[in-house]
Amino acid sequence: MNDIVELNLSDPIIFKQWQEFLISLNINDFSANEVDKIDQTIGIFEGERLVATGSIAGNILKYIAVCNKGRESGTYFNTIISDLTMRLAQQNIFHLFVFTKPEYVESFKHVGFQAIAVSKQGAILESGDYLIQDYLNSIVKFSDNQSIAGIVMNANPFTLGHRYLIETAAKENDQVYVFVVNTDASLFSTSERTQLIEAGTADLDNVTVVNGSDYMVSFATFPAYFIKSQAEIVTYQTTLDALIFKNWIAKTLHIQTRYLGSEPHSETTNIYNQVLKDVLEPEVKVKIVDRKKVDQQIISARDVRENIRDNHLEKLSQLVPQSTINFISSNLSNLQQRIQKGMNIDGN
Amino acid sequence: MEIKHTAIAGTLESSDIQIMLSQGTNGIEINLESDVIKQFGDQIKQVITDVIKDYGIDNAKVKAVDKGALDCVIKARTITAVQRSIDATEPNWEVL
Repeated sequence: MNDIVELNLSDPIIFKQWQEFLISLNINDFSANEVDKIDQTIGIFEGERLVATGSIAGNILKYIAVCNKGRESGTYFNTIISDLTMRLAQQNIFHLFVFTKPEYVESFKHVGFQAIAVSKQGAILESGDYLIQDYLNSIVKFSDNQSIAGIVMNANPFTLGHRYLIETAAKENDQVYVFVVNTDASLFSTSERTQLIEAGTADLDNVTVVNGSDYMVSFATFPAYFIKSQAEIVTYQTTLDALIFKNWIAKTLHIQTRYLGSEPHSETTNIYNQVLKDVLEPEVKVKIVDRKKVDQQIISARDVRENIRDNHLEKLSQLVPQSTINFISSNLSNLQQRIQKGMNIDGN
Repeated sequence: MEIKHTAIAGTLESSDIQIMLSQGTNGIEINLESDVIKQFGDQIKQVITDVIKDYGIDNAKVKAVDKGALDCVIKARTITAVQRSIDATEPNWEVL
């Protein structure tokens, strides 16, 4: 049995060997936003030659590649997955995700993973002590003879625009689930964003606010290192995102309609909305609601963040509900500090 | 006895089994992946269940990925996973 060694990718010679090996197996994306997230990389050598490798980034396994030439297939693969699982277990991480090409789904199923979404371009699998079934079990359910809607939002922070979208859905349906995107890469943390949505919809009895957990992450965070063209990436990420929503979330919670805000200014969001429609319909209807305007201007959370940065709190009352204003005023210096420390306030 | 936190033992190498044990609420639930599940699935689950019960644990979720382990290996891996999940340092000699 060949030993497993840790690969130090900051060593240029090792990096080059690792990269060449992956390229030989058709993995070609080594952009910084994929590679920089890697916490640990391991490899197996035969003599001087790298024959298997795998990496961990948070709770995600990536850059898994194995050369099976002259060996019983699967041996190195199992060794790599086994070792990465152990390394994560030592950090108390037991819930793992894999993003990979569809042709490798079977190999991962063989080592205990379940596929939660498979498209032509890519697949997401998970394994561990907490699975999507457990997530869905934890959510309050309504009987399927009611009309039930779902909205996924980041709400960074909660504005009158978000309020309008939720209100519209709440008027048109018996029940509305609001799923909060669970990615702490925003100016407002997940718990702050959740708290503000709850406060801003407290008067609507038929609205249930739910943490999106690992299943409604910001779609742009899916690893895409095995996708060849940049243009395909948004489609790939959105398709998986939509498949999870359709096949698991909507199916289990009896959601018949997904509400979205229109996005006249963002090409990416337009593609996103289109793909969502293609995948979700006809099982789940997609309703795109025109964005709420104040003085001909679309309400945008980004404007709110810029006003926070520029200390223009007087402008906020047009954009956000009182509950959000209260939170911002009592946490102003803290929020401004986060921006100064380099928290990106563009984007979503 | 209660499981305190998730724990894992064993590997995915040939002839081994990987056991992940976590808190459960609904008896001992076993999710088994094995190439020989048709022939030995019930037997494997029985060995795992016996060990967990011997520790006096009534509720547990078990995820087992079997790669052709013999009963003695299954037993050993399950014991280790249980020990880790209850933060035990000394083996329970009565179980052994």
